[in-house]
Amino acid sequence: MRAFDYVRATDTREAVRLLAEDPAASCLAGGTTQLDLMKDGVLEPPRLIDITRLPLHGIERRGAALHVGALATMEELAADATVAARLPMVRESLLRGASVQLRNMATIGGNLLQRTRCRYFRDPTVPECNKRTPGSGCAAAQGAARMHAVLGASERCIALHASDLAVALVALDAVVHIQGPAEARTVPLTEFYLTADESPQRENVLEHAELITAVEIPLPSAAARSGYLKVRDRASYEFALASAAVLLVLEDGMIRQARVGLGGVGTKPWRAYESEHVLTGASATTATFREAADAALRDAWTVPGTAFKVPLARRTLVRELQTVSEVTA
Amino acid sequence: MTDVASRRDVDERPAITERVVTLTVNGRPHTLRLDTRVTLLDALRDRLGLVGTKKGCDQGACGACTVHLDGRRVLACLTLAAQAEGRAITTIEGVSGADGQHPVQQAFMEHDGFQCGFCTPGQIMSAVALMAEGRAGSDAEIREFMSGNLCRCGAYPNIVAAIREAASQGGHDAGL
Amino acid sequence: MSTVESRRRPLVGAGVNRVDGPRKVTGTAPYPMDFSVPGQAYGALVQSTIAAGRIVRMHTEAAERAPGVIGVLTHENAPRVGTGPVTVLGASPPAPLRNDRIVHHGQHIAFVVAETPEQAGAAARLVRADYEATEPLLDLQDPRAEHLVDPWGMDTSRGDTAAAMASAEVTLRATYTTADNTHNPLGLFATLAAWEGDTLTVHDTSQWPSMVRTSLAMAFGIPESSVRVLVPYVGGGFGAGLRAWPHVILTAMAARVLRRPVKLVLTRPQMFTSVGHRPSGVQWLRVGATRDGELLVLNHRSLISLSMEDNDYEPFASATAFAYRCPNVITQDRQARINIAVPTSMRAPAEAQGNFALESALDELAYTLGMDPVELRLRNHTDVDPRNGLPWSGKALLECYEVGARRFGWSRRNPRPRSMRDGNWLVGYGMASALFPYFAQPCAAQATVRGDGSALVRSAATDIGTGTYTVMAQLAAEELGLPLDMVRFDLGDSDMPNSMMAGGSGLTGALGNAVHDACRRLVRSFTELAWASPESPLRGVPPDDVQCTGGTIHPVGRPDLGESYVEILARHELSELTANGKSSPPVPEELGMSLAGAYGAKFVEVRVDADLGLLRVARVVSVIDGGRILNEKTARSQIIGGTVGGIGMTLFEDTVTDPHTGRIANATFGDYLVAVNADVPELDVVFVGEPDRGTATGTKGVGEVGLVGIAPAIANAVYHATGKRIRQLPITLDALL
Repeated sequence: MRAFDYVRATDTREAVRLLAEDPAASCLAGGTTQLDLMKDGVLEPPRLIDITRLPLHGIERRGAALHVGALATMEELAADATVAARLPMVRESLLRGASVQLRNMATIGGNLLQRTRCRYFRDPTVPECNKRTPGSGCAAAQGAARMHAVLGASERCIALHASDLAVALVALDAVVHIQGPAEARTVPLTEFYLTADESPQRENVLEHAELITAVEIPLPSAAARSGYLKVRDRASYEFALASAAVLLVLEDGMIRQARVGLGGVGTKPWRAYESEHVLTGASATTATFREAADAALRDAWTVPGTAFKVPLARRTLVRELQTVSEVTA
Repeated sequence: MTDVASRRDVDERPAITERVVTLTVNGRPHTLRLDTRVTLLDALRDRLGLVGTKKGCDQGACGACTVHLDGRRVLACLTLAAQAEGRAITTIEGVSGADGQHPVQQAFMEHDGFQCGFCTPGQIMSAVALMAEGRAGSDAEIREFMSGNLCRCGAYPNIVAAIREAASQGGHDAGL
Repeated sequence: MSTVESRRRPLVGAGVNRVDGPRKVTGTAPYPMDFSVPGQAYGALVQSTIAAGRIVRMHTEAAERAPGVIGVLTHENAPRVGTGPVTVLGASPPAPLRNDRIVHHGQHIAFVVAETPEQAGAAARLVRADYEATEPLLDLQDPRAEHLVDPWGMDTSRGDTAAAMASAEVTLRATYTTADNTHNPLGLFATLAAWEGDTLTVHDTSQWPSMVRTSLAMAFGIPESSVRVLVPYVGGGFGAGLRAWPHVILTAMAARVLRRPVKLVLTRPQMFTSVGHRPSGVQWLRVGATRDGELLVLNHRSLISLSMEDNDYEPFASATAFAYRCPNVITQDRQARINIAVPTSMRAPAEAQGNFALESALDELAYTLGMDPVELRLRNHTDVDPRNGLPWSGKALLECYEVGARRFGWSRRNPRPRSMRDGNWLVGYGMASALFPYFAQPCAAQATVRGDGSALVRSAATDIGTGTYTVMAQLAAEELGLPLDMVRFDLGDSDMPNSMMAGGSGLTGALGNAVHDACRRLVRSFTELAWASPESPLRGVPPDDVQCTGGTIHPVGRPDLGESYVEILARHELSELTANGKSSPPVPEELGMSLAGAYGAKFVEVRVDADLGLLRVARVVSVIDGGRILNEKTARSQIIGGTVGGIGMTLFEDTVTDPHTGRIANATFGDYLVAVNADVPELDVVFVGEPDRGTATGTKGVGEVGLVGIAPAIANAVYHATGKRIRQLPITLDALL
């Protein structure tokens, strides 16, 4: 790790000011991505601004939404009563993401900003990485790929966004609250991320001196059912090979509302609008689910090591649609 | 061909960036002057001589460095020492009470919940926290919520048996 | 729960808790990385970023100027050192930094030493190398790769396989592939080297301290008596600690050059390229049989990956020569040199791979014949070693099958693939036979009884989690007639009597026999002392007619006529009495028996999600003939651990090499998957059999047999569940979609 200056921010405005002062400075929250990448030599900020003591920890119900402070931990959010009662898909995505130890450290804001696990990105001795060094190429697309993306991927970059939580949150139309040096703004999570085929080196719309302060999760209607299915080699403690976050409102066997997020397959947490179009207004049958799953994966871009993810993601989505709808026929 | 591992010829930064940090470990304060890069794990091991907390990966992936921070289990390898300032840090050295070993420690010995023993301090710190979290209700629950602690010797079934027994004896009440 | 079903001879200290348990659960057991000495500096390795070629120039100036840096060693300035000994595992690794040649990605090319670990790590990143790269050979089956033919002289041939194959009623041919695996003990390997003049003290992660001592002595041209290697605790080995690795030599070299104690702790990624791995391989099997299941031909050939400059002992096919009664057998192993890091024996070397191929093929044959897989194995069982016609020294394999089938409920199996289902889960039952060949090397031990009546027994062995501390103390306590808490067994110091490696499932037997010998000799010394004393109740009692109980030596069956160690020492005004013992591997021809090694039968239930391909192990029954079991608790842990390793090998473990650069593409615990707690169900372990007739202690060693057979049992169960025959490890869900 390169030497750095450590500064502890005490309020949000100070943190943003410190960030604005130093274009190379980074924030430190839970540390589970930031310190790992600094040890790997991928990130080498000369200054770390510890934001963990900013007053951004609270989780509270505000009208029809849950307001989650950016520094709430994954464990805290998973334990929240509103999440347990109204957002089972969020709770499941949290409990299936990382170990308890990591969930006690990792923050919600940090989770949304987590970097890819691509081992070509994470090893600075690999010269070809468009994410680290724009224009250098993508060694992963030519190399030993498996835990990589097939949606939003191209020969420029196949780095996977490995979050589970963000998959549930994009499906729920969560909104990110951002504090900048001059002003605060909000961005829908569905518009927050950029895909790697657009810009491998830039993963989201957050500007350097901006800080995520909160995430607002609209509460679905009481009639909605939801769930999160994560498929992985191990029975626990592994990133997804494929995952599906599904929310449905059913009425007399018809799908009134559908929200679908896919994980383990996208260069960003993937909102499967194409699936939702197929599902909405259709009858809840396995045939419909299959059609919806086909639609989601239609534009998949694969390399030999990732080709299996297309059928796997389809089946994962069909299974979770069946589970949430309780329709298996 | 030139190695691109390092694109800089010199590190232009100041020689060392230090910070005075007071860590409260197992109830005792320690004031240290530390390179800001020093993790909680390395501070415990290299500076305080508390080598019971182990380094198995230094990447947050094995659980061997599990300690408690304000009563919650975390990974010391991905926590900067500076971040732990003002927090109550508990390590394996602080688990045994004045009256002897913690019930989890006793259960691990009785059920042979380890072989080489290297992951064991982390497993025990995790297990003690697991019981406080109320997650030792079934074998399936224990397995799931202990999965962040790798054991390469493969003592898992015995670890589950040890925790099952410690939990059934109300080991969580023993607390810390 | 496991039981010991056979109690024809009582077991020693069944189920005793580990004597080192209190230290391990309190974090006070010191592992190599836990040691420090005053004034120590910290090392960090720089590794090559190409797999083949040469270094044109090293750029170390930036690192040398970096804060805290004391020195940087490269091949341009490092002193030349000697190469270590040839051992039973082959030649020692080549000396580090001896030239500009690069033979694998991740080869050590520089060693940076600084005042703090943070400074050393940061400075190591500043070292650059200019390379002249050549195209690396990375594919095991690349036709350009050099092949070593019969590298261990273990190829076998008996009968006429061609003629028998032509006449066989049923034939089968299949190809099996197994992946590179990495040992990945949880404990990062660490070395702390300190010189005082020409005397070197090293704390090192090793399974074989005496070999490390020899290697360091040869490297630096000093007498072995000037080197001391200490390793009281090892954070897991699994074979990775069987060599004196280049980083060990480098650390000692840096300490000598810089005149500072130097400590090195490998990083987890470095553990993938610096301390060995299980080599990948391809195996070709041809089987011929009669229609009623009698094996006529086994033709088992392998090609195994090997690095460019190292040796590895890994004869995949060799055990097929004696696993079953079969008149016509060929086994052949070849190694292909490619640009990978050096492979090294990893838990159940050769057997893990060879048994997967053989036992999968037998399952295929059983389906071809329409015969129960257990029945097929019963039909080809042999109680004599087919290689030499000698009876085995102990082989309760038939009992393993019988007990295993019963406990597992094998009779409930509907043999038709895809015939058993539970919701979305396809259910499969599979089984396999397992063996791990007998292995032993010479060992020595020293036993002392002190004036207070306590005993200290010592040998330069290691306890890598197998329970050596505990079972050797138990053995000594039994032989000396002392309670366990009066006996201490010390190990992990090369100054102690020479021990074999903790490897090949051999240490417990070989060291046990040496401890047994030392204790017997010690008792004899005591008896002889007493024998000569007019006032001793043992006066005139022949030394062979005594036994020991409760710290007293007495005529057999007459504890009332005894005299205690304390009394004998006191009368002769001795503070202690010591005896040395040793053991050497028995010779089959002298015994009139072939040394059997451990056997087992493995029965597995798997669940495969019909749509998602998820594979989960639901149940495992392991029935083991391990000869005499010294400690039922630690022996059971060995089998459980081997089983968990087998589950990992079968379902997850795959060290992935980038096909262009030779870089390990998954060198972290986040990417190289080992089994976690949630992957492992309750495991049923049963010991059967009798003490082995080949040695004094009757043990066979159970460190490896737990892993063997798990892979084929799972693969066979997967076939039963899904109808898909997977001949490639690991079996990941992509193959089952």
